[in-house]
Amino acid sequence: MSAIDIQNLSRDYGGGKGIFDVSISVDKGEVFGFLGPNGSGKTTTIRHLMGFIKPKVGSCQINRMDCWKNRDEIQKSLGYIPGEISFFDDMTGKEFLKFISEYRSLKRDNRMSEMIERFELDPKDKIKKMSKGMKQKLGIVSAFMHDPDILILDEPTSGLDPLMQNRFIELMAEEKEKGKTIFLSSHMFEEVERTCDRIGIIRNGKLVTVDSVETLRKRHMRSYTVHLDTPEEAEAFAKDFDGICTDNSVTVTAKRGLEAIFMDYYGGDDHA
Amino acid sequence: MLNWTLYKREVKNSVKMLVIFGAVITMYVAIIISMYDPEMMVSLDKFYELMPELMASVGMSAGATTLIGFMISYLYGFILLLFPMLFCILRGNGLVAKYTDKGSMATLLAAPVKRKTVALTQMSVLISGILILMIYATGLEIIIAETSFPGELVISELLKLNAALMCLHLFIGSICFLASCVFSDTKYSIAFGAGIPVLMYVLQMLANTGEKAEAAKYFTFFTLFNADGVVAGESNAIIGAVVLGIGAAVLYAGGITVFCKKDLHI
Repeated sequence: MSAIDIQNLSRDYGGGKGIFDVSISVDKGEVFGFLGPNGSGKTTTIRHLMGFIKPKVGSCQINRMDCWKNRDEIQKSLGYIPGEISFFDDMTGKEFLKFISEYRSLKRDNRMSEMIERFELDPKDKIKKMSKGMKQKLGIVSAFMHDPDILILDEPTSGLDPLMQNRFIELMAEEKEKGKTIFLSSHMFEEVERTCDRIGIIRNGKLVTVDSVETLRKRHMRSYTVHLDTPEEAEAFAKDFDGICTDNSVTVTAKRGLEAIFMDYYGGDDHA
Repeated sequence: MLNWTLYKREVKNSVKMLVIFGAVITMYVAIIISMYDPEMMVSLDKFYELMPELMASVGMSAGATTLIGFMISYLYGFILLLFPMLFCILRGNGLVAKYTDKGSMATLLAAPVKRKTVALTQMSVLISGILILMIYATGLEIIIAETSFPGELVISELLKLNAALMCLHLFIGSICFLASCVFSDTKYSIAFGAGIPVLMYVLQMLANTGEKAEAAKYFTFFTLFNADGVVAGESNAIIGAVVLGIGAAVLYAGGITVFCKKDLHI
């Protein structure tokens, strides 16, 4: 059963901007990576999912509910990290989290303090004075504290330091274990590669490919066999470059990261 | 229907402004009422004879002999129009358009709360502010008038007058609220939410100054607020106030509908 279902969604902003005929289906319990450069239509797609924009062409559903008509119903079990964090500057982090949990009518035993600890968030400061990373952490806490079943994350690790990025990736892995559905938009290849089951690549508003990480990797994998003078040299080479050693020849597989795959889809013609 | 958490936050945000405007109103009401003196009226009438256009443009007319007539001349043409109007403009813009413009509307909508609830809550905050200002002004006027000139003020007349004034401000508030809901950019929200009431007020000032410009009164909703007429119980004046009240209800409903249907690029 698909948790998120986007059918032929189009939104033309003119001048080549917008999204065109995007269809994505994300199964329950799946982690879907939505990869694309800035301005490719990731956030526009997410705005449709959140019920901020009404689809002009096509439709989108979450848990078989229309994202526009049933937006408040959908939000009950949805966690969202916006691409551009903008909270209430006049509040402190603590006041804000208290506001959100009351606003959402959450019970007292929510995951707020667990999340605060996990991301070492210091919620005492005024949001206005927080750094980008601290605001991002606040966004993560407020998206996860009601323990939602579906997570829509728009570039969730932007502004986080590498340590916190790792912690976030761990958190996503745990949530996936619990059977949560995650829709992750990103331009961070590593983050997507490490966490996602399937990846959709969007470019100029059009979905270029949707495939599993493995298939994408295999399709773009190349191997080389290198002959060396002595078996000792070959062994050392194999050790250094993570290859397979047979006599004095070594086979090295270039596990090209998603970045390279990504470049394949984007390289060359800029305006299709 | 309303989200009380949001309501509490927004009312708290209104407090500072209410205190400031309340203080200004207190000062003016106290000073103006204490100036009431049938003998003083003669000197004020002299002012009026000297520069009738200027006095009339801010709603002051000659020959107010009763205390309420005096108050209408010197409070209801300027102070009690302008300051609650400023509150409507500033708050109206801050309640919806500012959130949309800054993107923090996403925080309010990424929750199991209907857009209609958010809009209704914000509307209630604006209306609450207007009510607080009106009730405060009424209480203040009664207390000051009764202590300075016991028995001079007919309270039933004052209540009628302030009910009409409240209709006027609810209407002004509804214009600001509608602008706030329609525009996602505070620039335009303020341009319309402040521009329309201010323009109307200027037209009203023009209309008051003299015969040539009197036709301007047909182009401003301030004409519907006829203070002397309401106190005198004229049916036209009462209809005017009712029209303002109905207009306000229509514009508030319109604002909520627009907000529920519009695309939010947040």
